[in-house]
Amino acid sequence: MASVKFDNVTKKFGDFVAVADVNLEIRDKEFLVLLGPSGCGKTTTMRMVAGLEEPTSGDIYIDSDRINDVLPKYRDVAMVFQSYALYPHLTVEDNIGYPLKIRKVPPDEYKRRILEVARRVELDTMLKRLPKELSGGQRQRVALARAIVRTPRVFLMDEPLSNLDAKLRTQMRAELKHLQHELQVTTIYVTHDQIEAMTLAHRVAVMNRGVIEQLGTPREIYNDPRTLFVAGFIGSPSMNLIPGEAKDGVFASAGLRVEGAGHVNVRLAVLGVRPEDVHVAGPEDKDINLVAPIYSVELTGENTLVNLQLGGQLLTLRADKNFAGAIDQRVGVRIAEDRMFLFDAETEQRVDFQPDS
Amino acid sequence: MATTLRTRSRSRETLLRLSAYATILLALVLTLFPVYWIAANSFKFDIDIFAVPPEWVPRNPTLKHYDQAFIERPFLRYALNSFLVAIGTTAIAVTFGTMAGYALARFSYPWQWRKHVSFWILSTRMMPPIVSIIPLYLAFNYFDMLNTKSALIIAYTAFNLPFATWMMKSYFQDLPVELEEAAIVDGDTRWGAFLHVALPLARPGLAATAIFCLIISWNEFLLSLVITLTEQSQTLPIGIAGRVTQYTTYWGEISAAGFMACIPIVIFAFIVQKHLVRGLSLGAVKG
Repeated sequence: MASVKFDNVTKKFGDFVAVADVNLEIRDKEFLVLLGPSGCGKTTTMRMVAGLEEPTSGDIYIDSDRINDVLPKYRDVAMVFQSYALYPHLTVEDNIGYPLKIRKVPPDEYKRRILEVARRVELDTMLKRLPKELSGGQRQRVALARAIVRTPRVFLMDEPLSNLDAKLRTQMRAELKHLQHELQVTTIYVTHDQIEAMTLAHRVAVMNRGVIEQLGTPREIYNDPRTLFVAGFIGSPSMNLIPGEAKDGVFASAGLRVEGAGHVNVRLAVLGVRPEDVHVAGPEDKDINLVAPIYSVELTGENTLVNLQLGGQLLTLRADKNFAGAIDQRVGVRIAEDRMFLFDAETEQRVDFQPDS
Repeated sequence: MATTLRTRSRSRETLLRLSAYATILLALVLTLFPVYWIAANSFKFDIDIFAVPPEWVPRNPTLKHYDQAFIERPFLRYALNSFLVAIGTTAIAVTFGTMAGYALARFSYPWQWRKHVSFWILSTRMMPPIVSIIPLYLAFNYFDMLNTKSALIIAYTAFNLPFATWMMKSYFQDLPVELEEAAIVDGDTRWGAFLHVALPLARPGLAATAIFCLIISWNEFLLSLVITLTEQSQTLPIGIAGRVTQYTTYWGEISAAGFMACIPIVIFAFIVQKHLVRGLSLGAVKG
């Protein structure tokens, strides 16, 4: 049980800055997800906790111990690799028992603990097999078992579900969440999959270009994105981002005009609104923000995604599953004004609509 | 129409396969015939060796040349010397080559040092061995090591180590680094990860490197010719060449000894070939 703290941590590979001045505190027993596109520095951040990379500057702490110069073997962390990294020449039993063997655990306890975790991940009938005789999901469970066979201070998981098929991934996701709750071990989980991040995390740190763009609960990240990147990265389908200009409280772009932007003046502004906060109305209705032709209609089952042609770009909205509309038909659109976000396109930071005072 | 097309492509496939077999057969004949001819000659009387037309299969087989080579002349001694030198060289070259190869494959180096050090190691093999003969002779003479097997082992190791290093380096580079990282996070040291994970997985590479070193030192002629003069230190190739004398060449003895000299390498290759099988690391990463 432990907390992990990053104190102004920077990691460079030559001239390339992989992680830039990160400050982050992961609380005891917390499930923290590092989320971001590939190359954003999330895996490097995690590998520094494992001791597989050394920070170029800054300090990393587990509890109150500064671990910069501590060898991996003394850090007492366990890691699940994206590739599983099972030892191909060892049986399932020896794979799971490897961390115990290194720690010279007595034989009877060794057997007992392996059997215990093998039962937990339902591998107890396959202990004598080699990794190559297992399916992808089973290999993943061996990797997991190897991590939980001892109780480490911190779990590190590097995209552990990305090599599984969609159905198995959903199932393992639930198992992971349950397991973490049961074991109560601080967990750092790296993924580029926002659904995994939203469903698993207590808190999510969204990373981009080596910087943590926003740290917060999944709800905060979704409902209150602080930067343009977070707004565009989280949500599926992603948030509509409409470039335009905000002047004296009015946001204007080709075909769209929204009032109530307070006193904000931003020459290059971006208006963000999620598909579910855009509503269809009749073209003649009052209070509509714009009228636009339908570009395409996609029924997903639970609802209908409607793309409207708005100037040179598409505006996506989530309509009722019974929505019936034909391509090129003109419809009115009402945007939930309290659910709009305004960003400065140059700084990529949010500039909130300020209520008129 | 369709039938003709299918027949035509079928017959073309057969033709292709036949020509492939023919090529393999030709290659086999070219490589195996000399071995067969040595074996056949070793069982013939001297007069039959030069029979015209050639005697393809010995008509009156004899073990006379084996008797001469291994009982009357010290070919057993030469074989033992060859064996000790080859095993010694292989053991040292593979051990240090593996460690050096691992270091070159895995450790981080400032600037371009990995490249430079690797190239420097390989560059020691770029001069022809004959260039080093006189310095080596003088050095061994200075240390009073002429006519010793240790001198041969040292000299051969110097020539085998660069290749062993390079072969093992490229082998380790092919192994997924995550496996060792997993071992390190699991609580092992770097040395432990090397010993418990990388080395067992590098078995095919070790086998290939060992065969390579063994063959090179077993067959080496030039250095042994210069460094050793006594029966106690000379190796098989020198012993065999010694049967080409001023007045006559003992083809029978040469064939007998030469044929026997092939056998240990063949046996060793059979023993290690199961380790040569690729795909040992299959199942390590990805599902």
